[in-house]
Amino acid sequence: MSMRKISLLITGAVALASGAVASAQTTAIMDGRVITVSGDVIEGGDVIISNGRITQVGADLSAPSGATVIDATGKVVTPGIIAPYSTIGLEEIGLDAEANDASPAREIGFPLGAALDAIDAYNPSSILIPINRAGGVTRALSTPEAGDSIFGGQAALIDLSGDVDSVMQPRVAQVAMLGFSGAARAGDTRMGAWAFIREYFDEARSYASNPNDYVRRSRDPRFSLSDLKALGPVVSGAQTVIISANSANDIRNVIRLKNRYRLKVVIVGGSEAWRVAEDLRNADIPVILDPLFNLPAQFEDLDATFANAGRLHDAGVTIGLYNPQGFAAHNLRTLTQQAGNAVANGLSYEGAMAALTLGPATMLGVDAQLGSIEAGKIADVVVWDGDPLEVTTQPEAVFINGVAQSLENRQTMLRDRYRDLSRGDLPHAYRGATK
Amino acid sequence: MRNLCGAALVALIIAGCSQPQEGANDAGDDSAEGANTASATENTGDAQTMEATQSNNADEASDEKGPVRPSTDPFPSTYEPYPSDTVVITGATVLTATGEEIENGSVVIEGGKISAVGAAGDVTEPEGATFIDASGKWVTPGVIDIHSHLGNYPSPSTQSTSDGNEATSPNTAQVWTEHSVWPQDAGFTRALAGGVTAMQILPGSANLFGGRSVILKNVPSRTVQGMKFPDAPYGMKMACGENPKRVYGQQGGPATRMGNFAGYRAAWIEAAAYRDKWDKYWTDYEEWAVDKKDDDEKPEAPARDLKLETLAGALRGDIRVNMHCYRGDEMVQVLDMAKEFGYKVSAFHHAIEAYKVADYLAENGVCAAMWADWWGFKLEAFDAINENAALVHEQENSCAIIHSDSDVGIQILNQEAAKAMSAGRRIGIDITPKDAIAWITANPAKSMGILDQTGTLEAGKAADIVVWSSNPFSIYTQAEQVYIDGALLYDRNDPARSPRMDFELGQRDNKFTGGAGQ
Repeated sequence: MSMRKISLLITGAVALASGAVASAQTTAIMDGRVITVSGDVIEGGDVIISNGRITQVGADLSAPSGATVIDATGKVVTPGIIAPYSTIGLEEIGLDAEANDASPAREIGFPLGAALDAIDAYNPSSILIPINRAGGVTRALSTPEAGDSIFGGQAALIDLSGDVDSVMQPRVAQVAMLGFSGAARAGDTRMGAWAFIREYFDEARSYASNPNDYVRRSRDPRFSLSDLKALGPVVSGAQTVIISANSANDIRNVIRLKNRYRLKVVIVGGSEAWRVAEDLRNADIPVILDPLFNLPAQFEDLDATFANAGRLHDAGVTIGLYNPQGFAAHNLRTLTQQAGNAVANGLSYEGAMAALTLGPATMLGVDAQLGSIEAGKIADVVVWDGDPLEVTTQPEAVFINGVAQSLENRQTMLRDRYRDLSRGDLPHAYRGATK
Repeated sequence: MRNLCGAALVALIIAGCSQPQEGANDAGDDSAEGANTASATENTGDAQTMEATQSNNADEASDEKGPVRPSTDPFPSTYEPYPSDTVVITGATVLTATGEEIENGSVVIEGGKISAVGAAGDVTEPEGATFIDASGKWVTPGVIDIHSHLGNYPSPSTQSTSDGNEATSPNTAQVWTEHSVWPQDAGFTRALAGGVTAMQILPGSANLFGGRSVILKNVPSRTVQGMKFPDAPYGMKMACGENPKRVYGQQGGPATRMGNFAGYRAAWIEAAAYRDKWDKYWTDYEEWAVDKKDDDEKPEAPARDLKLETLAGALRGDIRVNMHCYRGDEMVQVLDMAKEFGYKVSAFHHAIEAYKVADYLAENGVCAAMWADWWGFKLEAFDAINENAALVHEQENSCAIIHSDSDVGIQILNQEAAKAMSAGRRIGIDITPKDAIAWITANPAKSMGILDQTGTLEAGKAADIVVWSSNPFSIYTQAEQVYIDGALLYDRNDPARSPRMDFELGQRDNKFTGGAGQ
């Protein structure tokens, strides 16, 4: 046997040793606590990865000849974390216009909304990517944020390899602001936001039904053709629209909107979603929420509670998590902490793991490929040094498309550079400068 | 997107929010605009501000009682502890925040104070005490947040409640944030359910000098005075770097970091002169009083100036300087400036790059108040590392603090400390819960000047105590009971011990349940 036994204590070595190898590599993660998400937890479980896919999952498997073997004894193995709503790759620094492409500036009259496409700005070299990857996040929706339009534009599903070809699927979803966020873009009234979105959907339908005829007609110049064109897949039900709404009342209206236009809808925000949990389940509308939100921050959040995630899950609503605290890109790595808090406040452990993985995969329509540890699925797999929901736990190995990823990043390099503050023979600027 | 303007991140970006409908990422820009708007309509200009803040000293003059001495405490605390029982909490793992972890420990509360702490067998149990079996649970001092905007950026967050930043002039040392604090902020109750027993409320960071802070007991009251921590010193907020530049760059400056420093130094020069003027007046008065000279030779008190009074208080060491400062290089320049004018920086807040200058901080006895892992919302927050607090802690004579600056973060400071502890352990720094608990209790108390009263579990201190369901460094652990001055003010299992603020009454769905309004 030419198996290479690799100590997980030296995770950098794992990454460097195998990161250069193409997806043709075979990896055997042996004897871990495997949280498959789609099925049972397997104690002492093995996961075999080959050619970018999970090929075998079970107990007492044999590592294939030539495989890189990872001893996961005492470790926890999970699917990679999926962030279903983020601005990753679109912004480095929120407050610096030079380093933020996540949304058009507000109140400058920039005319387009729905037409904006995340892949035009998505930067796979963003330093945020390796930092979040080191926290076990392997996929994310790179999501434009709305400017003056209530439509944000089209989001792309990406992997966090940072590779040039890391956009898995462009235009997975459109983004729309309703509730207070919509009102703020429509004359400061919800009535404006709802009139606006209906008007746009009607025009988009009209355009889609006969584009040649539509362009010849006289029409209100407010409607940009590129926006209407971009909304075509939304009104045909082919593309999901992620709608921001929080109050129970706004969410009921979203359900009506979905039925009227036969949309595929996901709600983001949903601070009062638990109040209409049954309706959401019946309408088959998933919710992307922040479980760590329990303040009446706005009049649409009066019933915000830490129990939200648990109550939605119990009612059968598919949930995913996001971090809206200005960290929709920078701290996707804290989604596990948010999930842990949801568990502390009533969400089942299984529900929390699903909210981090299979839930987002389902709402983004990629649950056949991602979100669980099952043979045949894409090998986005994380080996953790403990319970992934504990903040004291960290990934020891992260695989994306079956490739072991480097867990080194700009933050670990800064750490290493300043670990020793003594003057030394050369300034700090010379330390760790080879990478 | 959910609106978070004013509620969380905005406070550290600018802490102003004219358009609360905006998402957090927009908030910074909008706050700057908000400052512009405010300035256009309300800015009185320096000269007028001076005039407005000067008062007629004749009112305070009193020949019989000696020289004029402006009150240092015109809005005195009226806080009184609520009734407490004699209680023995037994069987718990006790983190004292003095570096001890006691297995099967007991904490005794008598008369609102801690009367004993120790291993169960070693502690004298007073007669008639109520025993609380805390087996399997953990007990710590009450959590203290050195950086909060509860009350001045309250929930609900609207233009009408945005009271954290007097962004009308780069130097508003004359404002006192207690005059902005709304005691009905529901955030106080959520913080209580997170184990928070005391906090410092700071003005925002738009200005070079933001004004005075106030230290509160987390006990609901009809008035701010009813929450004020008795005998706590005042603090003052200052800000480095991007925020003052951003807010004032287009309206008279400072527009640069060098402009920031010129602004600080000019103010300190003025403050020193003001201090000296009052010192001279008091000296002259004493000499005059000894010789019993004629009335018409009696020294005249200088005109009061609220701005300079606060700055002079900082120079005298009576008011603690809390300096919002992200970058290490700027912190070291501030330390030199503090030496130039003879004052002390109590803590650098949001000290993202403290790890780059941890040795300087330790040498100067300055605390660093940090987040566990917030980063990157602006360029001066770009160099964050998870090991920041641990690397600060590692220095001898260090003072590491984990702070929140967030109405959500304040509820989970134990988790934030756990993250920072864990990051340090991974690079071989020996930190355990018995050390890390001080980052959210004893160290902030020390920096805020209330360590003699709270912040540790030691006999004689206020019984500000949290009983946690388990190890507070676990995500699944929650504060079960929170005592402040011995009074049980939060009990997760008793709705009658779970405060609801006025704003929340009648607003909630009738199916709503949860502790402290959660």
